[in-house]
Amino acid sequence: MKLVRVSAEQWQFQLGKREKLLFFEVLKLYPCIPSAHQTLSKKGGLPEQETSQQLLDEALAEQRAEYKQQLDGWMHGAGKWTENEKGWRVTLSVPEIEWLLQVLNDIRVGSWVILGSPDPSVEEVNEHNAPHLWAMEVAGAFQTALLGALEHGSPDLHG
Amino acid sequence: MAETAAPELLPGTITEPEEKSKSELEPGYLVICWNDPVNFMHYVTHVFQVVFGWNRKKAEFHMLQVHEQGKSVLARESMEKAEHYVHLLQKYSLHATMERDE
Repeated sequence: MKLVRVSAEQWQFQLGKREKLLFFEVLKLYPCIPSAHQTLSKKGGLPEQETSQQLLDEALAEQRAEYKQQLDGWMHGAGKWTENEKGWRVTLSVPEIEWLLQVLNDIRVGSWVILGSPDPSVEEVNEHNAPHLWAMEVAGAFQTALLGALEHGSPDLHG
Repeated sequence: MAETAAPELLPGTITEPEEKSKSELEPGYLVICWNDPVNFMHYVTHVFQVVFGWNRKKAEFHMLQVHEQGKSVLARESMEKAEHYVHLLQKYSLHATMERDE
């Protein structure tokens, strides 16, 4: 995923053919974080904590449903992706990059949670954990490419 | 057409906004980000910049605090605002919680 042009808050990227396939394969895994995994408080003792936790769960579930729908439209929408001799071009706005970063990190963190939240890392790769490790690595690579592009093209945000 | 009469206030009448409990308004809640081995350091820095509007230096300071000390207190706010920040941070899948400042 290479940044080819930045103009008027638009970031244009070039992806190879296989790279786009990989990108789409990993994006299909969204959402990955199990529902009700995230907690509002560690220690507890907040007023009306149960209600607040429920609100958080609902807000995150609603966001994931909305992002999933948005993602399907973005991946398959007419005019979004342009094919050329080197592969595919796609143009992203800042809000789209922010949204994709959240989607990719959900896949990365969710895969890690599915693996049992290993710390520091998985020692042995096998047929059971390989798909999740693959998802973590691929999502992480695209995240890094997007963050690098933002840094390159937006000195205001990352100055 | 009949005119709409403006509501009159009697002398000495005070209108009060919707009341909120004292504990909800006081900045007695900490927004904390906890370390994990999965979120990239540059991603965490980016999220802090976006969510709090911090410059890179301040965002990196807190990111390093998370990384080296296991957690960083990002803000001390009212319950409502702390909840809002936790929601935003969790939308980015960071391990963030709110805790009562004791």
